[in-house]
Amino acid sequence: MILMPLSRTCCRLVALMLLSGCLTMTAHAETLRRVEHALGEARIEGEPRRIVTLYQGATDSALALGLGPVGVVESWLERPMYRYLRDELPAEVRYLGLETQPDLEAVAGLAPDLIVGARYRHADVYPLLARIAPTVIAGTAYDFEAMLMLLGEATGREAEARELLADWHERVADFRCRAAARLGDAWPQRVSVVSFRGDHVRLYYDGFARHILDQLGFQRPEGQEGAGWGVKLISRESLPALDADAIFVFMRDDPAVVELHREWTTHPLWQRLEAVEQGQVYRVDPILWSMGSGILAANRLLDELYVHYGLHDGASAAEYMAC
Amino acid sequence: MLITPMAKGLGLLLGAMLALTAGVASLALGATEIAPASLFKAFITPDPGSMSHLILRTERLPRAVIAAVVGASLAVAGALMQTLTRNALAAPSVLGINAGAMCFVVVASSFFALRSPLELVWVAFLGALTAALLVALLGRERGGGLSPMRVVLGGVAVTALFVSLAQGLLIIDQEGFESLLLWLAGSVAGRGLEIVTPLLPFFLGAAALCALLVRQLNLLILDDEVVKGLGQRTGRVRLLAGLVVIVLAGCSVALAGMIGFVGLIVPHMVRAMFGRDHRWVLPGCALLGAGLLLAADTLARFLMPPQEVPVGVMTALLGTPFFLHLARRRSLTP
Amino acid sequence: MSRSVVLRVANGRLSLRLEHRTLAVTLLLSLALAASAMISLSLGSQATPPTAVLEALFHPARSDIALIVHEIRLPRIVLAILVGACLGVAGLLLQGLVRNPLASPDVIGITGGASLAAVCFLALGGAALGEAWLPLAALAALAGALSVALLILSLSGRGVTPARLVLIGIGLAAALGAGTTLVLVLAADTTAMQAYVWLTGSLYAAQWREVAGLAPWALVGLPLALALSRRLDVLALGDELATGLGTAVRGTRLALLLLAVALAGSAVAFAGGLSFVGLLAPHIARRLVARGHAGLVPATALIGALIVLHADLLGRIAFLPRDLPAGVFVAGIGAPFFVYLLHRWRT
Repeated sequence: MILMPLSRTCCRLVALMLLSGCLTMTAHAETLRRVEHALGEARIEGEPRRIVTLYQGATDSALALGLGPVGVVESWLERPMYRYLRDELPAEVRYLGLETQPDLEAVAGLAPDLIVGARYRHADVYPLLARIAPTVIAGTAYDFEAMLMLLGEATGREAEARELLADWHERVADFRCRAAARLGDAWPQRVSVVSFRGDHVRLYYDGFARHILDQLGFQRPEGQEGAGWGVKLISRESLPALDADAIFVFMRDDPAVVELHREWTTHPLWQRLEAVEQGQVYRVDPILWSMGSGILAANRLLDELYVHYGLHDGASAAEYMAC
Repeated sequence: MLITPMAKGLGLLLGAMLALTAGVASLALGATEIAPASLFKAFITPDPGSMSHLILRTERLPRAVIAAVVGASLAVAGALMQTLTRNALAAPSVLGINAGAMCFVVVASSFFALRSPLELVWVAFLGALTAALLVALLGRERGGGLSPMRVVLGGVAVTALFVSLAQGLLIIDQEGFESLLLWLAGSVAGRGLEIVTPLLPFFLGAAALCALLVRQLNLLILDDEVVKGLGQRTGRVRLLAGLVVIVLAGCSVALAGMIGFVGLIVPHMVRAMFGRDHRWVLPGCALLGAGLLLAADTLARFLMPPQEVPVGVMTALLGTPFFLHLARRRSLTP
Repeated sequence: MSRSVVLRVANGRLSLRLEHRTLAVTLLLSLALAASAMISLSLGSQATPPTAVLEALFHPARSDIALIVHEIRLPRIVLAILVGACLGVAGLLLQGLVRNPLASPDVIGITGGASLAAVCFLALGGAALGEAWLPLAALAALAGALSVALLILSLSGRGVTPARLVLIGIGLAAALGAGTTLVLVLAADTTAMQAYVWLTGSLYAAQWREVAGLAPWALVGLPLALALSRRLDVLALGDELATGLGTAVRGTRLALLLLAVALAGSAVAFAGGLSFVGLLAPHIARRLVARGHAGLVPATALIGALIVLHADLLGRIAFLPRDLPAGVFVAGIGAPFFVYLLHRWRT
């Protein structure tokens, strides 16, 4: 008996809400955009310029689009911000703490008109973020193309985002073509991505670098198709698991890491790896390869690859003819 | 249970065989297949060019040695600890020694940037010593003796104190967290023999002291009243045995990180077989402890290659069922 | 005989005898809690004068910090209070139940069970499921806590003796800890750190939905604990006396254990593996109020709430702009105090 009037009230309420929703929609028909993202839909008015980025890939993408964020989270290394991004950041940018637990009050205090987060980090804070400002959430950490398009769409810079991506795809095609011409039968190469830590070695099956290497046409050695992010190795006896045509190595400049690297790379099992015997072990930048996760980092990573494979000069005749 | 000295002697022999088998398995089994023949050749007539000889000498031998030494030490330390506190639950990990080592290692690596295993060994040892002294201080009764219940309570308090400090630091210093996680989980791999050598005098000294004390230790099982009646004094024995425990457990934690359970289970297993006489219990613990850790470490290589399960996790997983079986039985005497 | 007040509810079937001192302490603690909550409400990374906070509280429409006060600080404060109260009372119940001053949800593996379940959930990518994940994670943690309690009970066999309960609990706690370490070691960096923060116990980004999730458990569980307080008093006399006084010892113990698990499990589900509150709050309460669980239950709840509230406040503002888990500070306050208690308690 009590339920009846209650449900009627609810119906009325819903109808009222729908009506008001329609009204506001028609009122802002020109300026209101709906942006689909990993956790729902953001309604964005105009072109947001006070942007808060809550993970490294978002900061990178925003800077690539020429947008200076008003608030960013601290980087993991080279604190407070990676050097490759530091110059581009506005001087008065506010640091909001760590990516895992950004300072929400400070976010609200900045009165942003757009917040950018990632699902793996901010899924549980999303409702709160969405109340502070329209929020778009990236689906995966390292899919930098999707992030760029999402941000372009949210800020009304889709054209710029498309252009950046087109440039990227052009560079990818160029690299593939030149690499194929230069390496001949040795292409496509099977490569490993390896990181030395203080007390163990990581072999990555997945992540930002692998995502790009896949696009460039690099392949994985056998046994590295496993699910998950990768493995941690502690015994040098596992060295053969790293073997590939080429190995990309990154590590921090820390005494313990350098010592472990020395211990592993002087071991005869390391010396017998195919990539080592061929002289195809490349030291790469730890930030670009594992932490940047945006289009700027991707382009710099590709620059490194051009250098390592000697493709930057374009001197080879075969390469010149083919590409 | 074995009763006659003859049966006990045979039991010890069997334990030695088991430990030896586990040791050989630890040398023979791993990611790289090695022919049984090269097992002996690698040590008798080493060939610098042979890969399997090299793996045996640089990887598997240090690992097996560390596992054996640490396993034996932890088990003996556990047995002594249980006798000293008359508490069936006592073990180095329960009494804050592990946590002390952990906290000191975390502090050293985040504030003083000490990360190399050779330095950390000493830091961990110092931490273990500090924690043990704190627990002993808290466990003292008015009269000066150690009260079993107080020692256990003190151990828990000290553990919480050190663990919380370490946790806070690890959360602030994310990089430190990543490079210590494996040590925290306990591991005997990836260390060379050069780490064991400086600690060897400590292990040997502790072992010698154990051998000298073994008869007097049996007095500690008896009631204080009975001991007094026999006209014996146990204060010095307790002190020396406590020293042995700290040295053995501290060095083990420093070498292999947080390996729980060996110190708790093995003494119970050994007592179930050999009774409570320390002349049999201590050698039995050493053999069985070494065997268990060698076996856990060997097994840890095969659960999900090329990755290894941390050996501390492996021993806890192997040990829990046995512990629960013990805890369900009525009598739990140290 | 000290002066006391007797409260009778339900025609005298339920009565509580409260001494004046206990009443005074409870009142003082409540005032302290209200004051702390108010202070906590006006502190944060954004400067907010108390007057502005009051305005935001009562006239949200007129205030520009209404969002910060109502959606960011207030739910977090309320959750801290609820979590602290639940954990403290759970510890009190367990200590009375097994007659061991050492018992607490984390020592006997209840927190460990919840932690293992929650960490597995996080590592398997549960956090990325979206907004809908939260109830699932809480449910997983609660299920973990409950399974451990059932395991302890079934392993303890017919005669659930307190000593054996503790022994088995400690053993299970160690095994669960090993399992959690394994998951942490295998997980990718991103999830490992998040899981570690969870394990330490954090109230970061608490929202009203978390409060709504925990409130029913607290609102049913805490009064129930108060109602069962006289049974705890009887149990404290020992099994034989308790049986002589007509108490069904086994049934009472089961009911108390389940209530403790429900309180601790639900609190851990929403705040992570906060340890030491359950151990500490009852011990402090015992020093402040007279014997008898009728006074101890509210005092413990208030002290637990105070501890967690202050620990979270420290974690929130001490290292700005970083937000540290409350668990770090709970143990930091708790462990030295426990050592002090141990030092004083000498026979």
